[in-house]
Formats: sequence, C-alpha cells, structure tokens
Amino acid sequence: MNNPQFPTARKSGLVVQEVPDEILVYDLDSNKAHCLNQTAAIVWKSCDGKNSVSDIAKLVETEAGSKVSEDFVWLAIDQLSENNLLESEIRSAFSGESRREVIKKIGLASMVGLPIIASLVAPQSAMASASCACVTTPECIAKTCPTTICSLGVCGTTA
Amino acid sequence: MTDDTRWYLLFASRQEKNLVDAFNLLRSAGIEPILVKGWASARNYPETRNRYYTDIDLAVSGEQYDAAAAGIAESGHRLGIDLHRELRQLDTTPWEQLFVRSVCLNINGTPVRILCPEDHLRVICTHWLVEGGINKERLWDIYYAVESRPNDFDWERCLNAAGPIRRGWTVTAIGLAHQYLGLRIDDTPIRDEALKIPAWVIRTVEKEWSLNLPLIPLTSCLSDPKMLLRQLRKRIPPNPIQATVEMEGRFDDGARLKTQMSNVFQRIGPLFQRLFRLTMSK
Repeated sequence: MNNPQFPTARKSGLVVQEVPDEILVYDLDSNKAHCLNQTAAIVWKSCDGKNSVSDIAKLVETEAGSKVSEDFVWLAIDQLSENNLLESEIRSAFSGESRREVIKKIGLASMVGLPIIASLVAPQSAMASASCACVTTPECIAKTCPTTICSLGVCGTTA
Repeated sequence: MTDDTRWYLLFASRQEKNLVDAFNLLRSAGIEPILVKGWASARNYPETRNRYYTDIDLAVSGEQYDAAAAGIAESGHRLGIDLHRELRQLDTTPWEQLFVRSVCLNINGTPVRILCPEDHLRVICTHWLVEGGINKERLWDIYYAVESRPNDFDWERCLNAAGPIRRGWTVTAIGLAHQYLGLRIDDTPIRDEALKIPAWVIRTVEKEWSLNLPLIPLTSCLSDPKMLLRQLRKRIPPNPIQATVEMEGRFDDGARLKTQMSNVFQRIGPLFQRLFRLTMSK
C-alpha cells in the first residue's frame, strides 16, 4: 500500500513526452491523454515514493522559485490520483474543503501557477488524416485510431 | 503550443513506442521486417506539420510470413500491426533486392528498417494510386518524400526498378503533387514528363476530392444499408485510377472503360467469396 505522505508516480503503461514547461502523458490502459503544466509536472516527477509531501513542496519551491504550501502539493496529488497517474489512489487531504475552495485559497496566496492537469482530446485533423474510416466503433478500437468512437464514417468524437 | 500540437507529439510518441515494440516482437522470433508507409512517410514531414498514422505496416518475406503472423498473434492486434507478405501489388521489385537496399534508422535506440528513399517514393506513389488518388492529404507524403530526398537520390533506381508501367505511375503521382501542391520538379529528370498528366486522371482526382467519402470495405457496411449504398455508388463504375493500377495498365490517354470493366470482373469473384465466408461465419 502506498503511503499517501510518500506518493509514487505511475510509470508503467504510460507514454510520456516532455516539452518545454509541460509534460504530456498518454495512458495506454485508458487511452486518455493528459497535459501537466509546469508545477503539476514538478510534483509528478518528485513523486518517487521517498519524498514526503513537504519534501515535494520544497522541491517545487526550488524549481519554481517561490514559496508554496503543502496544500499546493496536495492539489497536484489530488489531480494526479484522479487521473490515475500515481501507483495507487490517494484521497485528498483537504480536510472537508472542496477543491474549488482550496484552489481559491491557494491561488490567492501563491506566486506560482497552480498545478493543472488538463485532458487532451484528439483534434479533428487526426481523424480526418489517419485513414480511420469506420462503420462501427469496434473497428476504431481494432484500428487503434486516435479515438474509439465511430462517427460519420471516421473514428471521431463528434457527430 | 496548441492542443493539436500537444496531441500530435503524444500520439507520435505512442506510435513510435508501438513501432519499437513491433520490431522487437518480430525480431524475437528471428524475423526482420521492413516498415512501409506510416512512420516512414511521417519522418519526411517538417516539424510544423502533423502527419498522423494509425497502422504499422510491416512487410516480411514470403517464407517468413506464416511465422511472423504466429509471432505477433494477439500483441500484433494491440500494437496495430498490419502484416504484409512482401509488398504484393505495391511493387514488383524482388523482395531480396528491396531488403538489401533497405536502411535502418534509429528510434529510441532501436533500429527500424525502412525502404531506401528511392524504393519508398515509388511504393508510396503506387499506394496512393491504388487507393484511387482519393486522399488529397496523403499526396503530401509524395511531396515531402521528393522534397526531402537525399543529395545522392538515384532517380534511375526509383523510376526504372519496377518496369516501364510503374515508371509511368510514379511520374504521374509526382506530377499531381507538382500540379496541386506546388512540388518543385524542375531539378528532377522528370520535369517535362511529369507535366503530361492524362485528362482522365485529373478528372478522377478532382471528382474524388470533391466527394470526400472514404473507401470502406463493403463487408464492414453490411449492417448499415445507407453506407452500403454510398459505398456501392462509389465503386460503380470503378475509380479509373484504381482500376488501371489493379489491372497493371498504363497511364496513357486511352479510354478507361475496357480497363474498368475488366476490373469489375476481376473484383466480383473475390467479393462474393468474402461475402459467402462472412455469411457462413455468422
């Protein structure tokens, strides 16, 4: 069982692409893509099972150049866990507060960008040019198209 | 950076991982494949332009095909491998010759074997034409294969390795990339030849591009009568470019009707066989 105070980043079943100020992650199990902004990326990379939440906060401070609270790290961990990017699920430690309230609180106090994990959706150009012609959804899955819903003769997401 | 670019970077990484896994899988069975199309075309594109590909088309020698098919089994499906027994109708050059000329490039430390630039260009021209020239977007594959050719590119090998008929196909496809995408051909030995595109070829591609309906196997449309009808209408009469290539015909100025008719008769037998097999399996 993973110790919530020492979170571990998931490594298997992921394709990771580092780009300036961001990390892009493709989850091969769920076929979902995520974009971690700079601070979420720092937290994720620091989750090695040895760093505590307060250690991670210090690492973020060093890299981002500004003081951050443990709640700031928890906000990132909460999203990492929700998107299945940690070895095991970790429940948020916001003690009864909603994420929205925590964001408001941290956002006002923080000088660095809040950790954000955004979902990436396949662009239309991917479907149009990827020879993902289809009639039924199982065909899209079989063809490993960017998305797995058959619509308008191509594997896409919108009707 | 836009979300499109982010998605493409991630998608390309995922596909490269699958590609490496696919090569490792076949190599573990003692089989050395050649990758055709897909990544081999995408690598020629500039960084600013996204070129998506979904299948991993791997060609293996005829003798190794059965072993390769058994070797990839379920993993091949997951990785999106489309296994080919040599290059079938895509090229007539002997496999051994293609293999000797093929080159290995590196993806994350794993050598990936692709056709040499000359064979690659000829094969993607044939592939584009065998699909009836319906995909204008894929004409860019030909554009960038010519644009990014190495300094020592051997046009003689590219054009003449597979005989005079296929030379004509290659020249026509490059000519279309010149006409519609502005590909520079004045520094190639086909600068004059590539301008003489038969009128029926022009009519065909312009009609197909305005229709914008992808070709879907009829057997996949059986549960959707509307789509089945649209696909039948797309096939009758057959696309003249596709019919000519499938009948190994010349791209000359002659009428296409005879070629199209012959193509219908050639296709009808296998189509009924497929439908029969499908019905029996259900």
